[in-house]
Amino acid sequence: MSETHEHAHDHEHPPHAHDGKPIQEDALPPLEAHVLETAVRELLIEKGVISSDDIRRSIEERESRNPALGAKIVARAWADPEFKSKLMNESDEALLTFGINMSPMELCVVENTQEVHNMVVCTLCSCYPRPVLGIPPAWYKRRDYRSRAVREPRAVLQEFGTQIPEAKQVRVHDSNADLRYLVLPQRPDGTEGWDEEQLAKLVTRDSMIGVSDALTPAEIED
Amino acid sequence: MEARFQPGDRVRILDRDQPGHVRTPIYVRGKTGVIERIVGSFPNPELLAVGHSGLPYKMLYRVNFAQSELWDDYDGKPEDTLEIEIYEHWLAPA
Amino acid sequence: MRGPQDYGGLPAGPVDPENNEHDPTHWEKTVDAMMMLLFDQRRRLARVDESRRMQEALGEDYHKYPYYERWLQAISWLLLEKGVFTQEELDAKMAEVRPRLEAERNGG
Repeated sequence: MSETHEHAHDHEHPPHAHDGKPIQEDALPPLEAHVLETAVRELLIEKGVISSDDIRRSIEERESRNPALGAKIVARAWADPEFKSKLMNESDEALLTFGINMSPMELCVVENTQEVHNMVVCTLCSCYPRPVLGIPPAWYKRRDYRSRAVREPRAVLQEFGTQIPEAKQVRVHDSNADLRYLVLPQRPDGTEGWDEEQLAKLVTRDSMIGVSDALTPAEIED
Repeated sequence: MEARFQPGDRVRILDRDQPGHVRTPIYVRGKTGVIERIVGSFPNPELLAVGHSGLPYKMLYRVNFAQSELWDDYDGKPEDTLEIEIYEHWLAPA
Repeated sequence: MRGPQDYGGLPAGPVDPENNEHDPTHWEKTVDAMMMLLFDQRRRLARVDESRRMQEALGEDYHKYPYYERWLQAISWLLLEKGVFTQEELDAKMAEVRPRLEAERNGG
């Protein structure tokens, strides 16, 4: 078994431009990539394989899938024990009530408790519950997270500012095949009697990947 | 399709080299874990990757490992685990 | 025999979630959309597994490509492999596109 050449960092471009500002929505890739993408896209359109409208609609559809959708699902699971049980055991059916179809994949929901903290990684690529959370965050797709989440999860969690009590078990899920994973974060204290809409505000994307906890009522006050 | 393994069975991940696209990462090969659940039968990704239909389907399992089994230098708690999906043709009884 | 994509457990740097975060650019969304369209039920031109095979075929270059450039390379190789267009057609199209994009990018 040959050793892979090991870099301290991969060579992916940093997601910030050279002036240190975050990358903007209209930022362009290197010219060569832009040329290849434009050529491929125009050939596909000329040959009638796809149309510009198809691309636009596909982007819009993708944008409608975002962590706010996942947050609604988590909030309902917190508020409605019957829904939660369905989500944990027959996720297909539970997701249908939100108009979500995971096929051909299946959603596996893993629950954080007082005893267990779950986190999700895909070491081989970037498998992610896209129909529920949208496009994965940039760090999720990079070498640093993919390499280390399986081997030193507690250190990685610390880099997200997440302290896991010594007594808690950490369960890492390598999303490598046909399931996709959603972490059901712990419902924060002090939210008794809150409705789903209020609860959903506490549910962040990162809490559904398991790299952080849900927000506390105090954290959303301002 | 009959499942060869049941939840609770101890299994070893085969440690073999195989060219082409496979979904069994190196870090679990040769390691021993426990079947957590039977996921179901799915098209074989090794065949899908070369444009075939993925037939015959393969039984897929979630396998649970103690982190200390995977990494000699694991420095978390002894109870920490890792779970991953493995197709039946990569599993042997342990 | 470790493929370039098989990162699990290898030494790596800090995750740095704050700096390694950005919303997808329009260009990245376009590449994402093209891939999803090729996968969709109507076209079934390629499977996600085939795209992964192509990305892994980058070998050491896998580490150099940013994520969506890797996807783009996979898309282009898959379409060539499946005969949707030929290398000659692609070369000719790229030659036509390049000066146009250069002018756009310089013109601002």
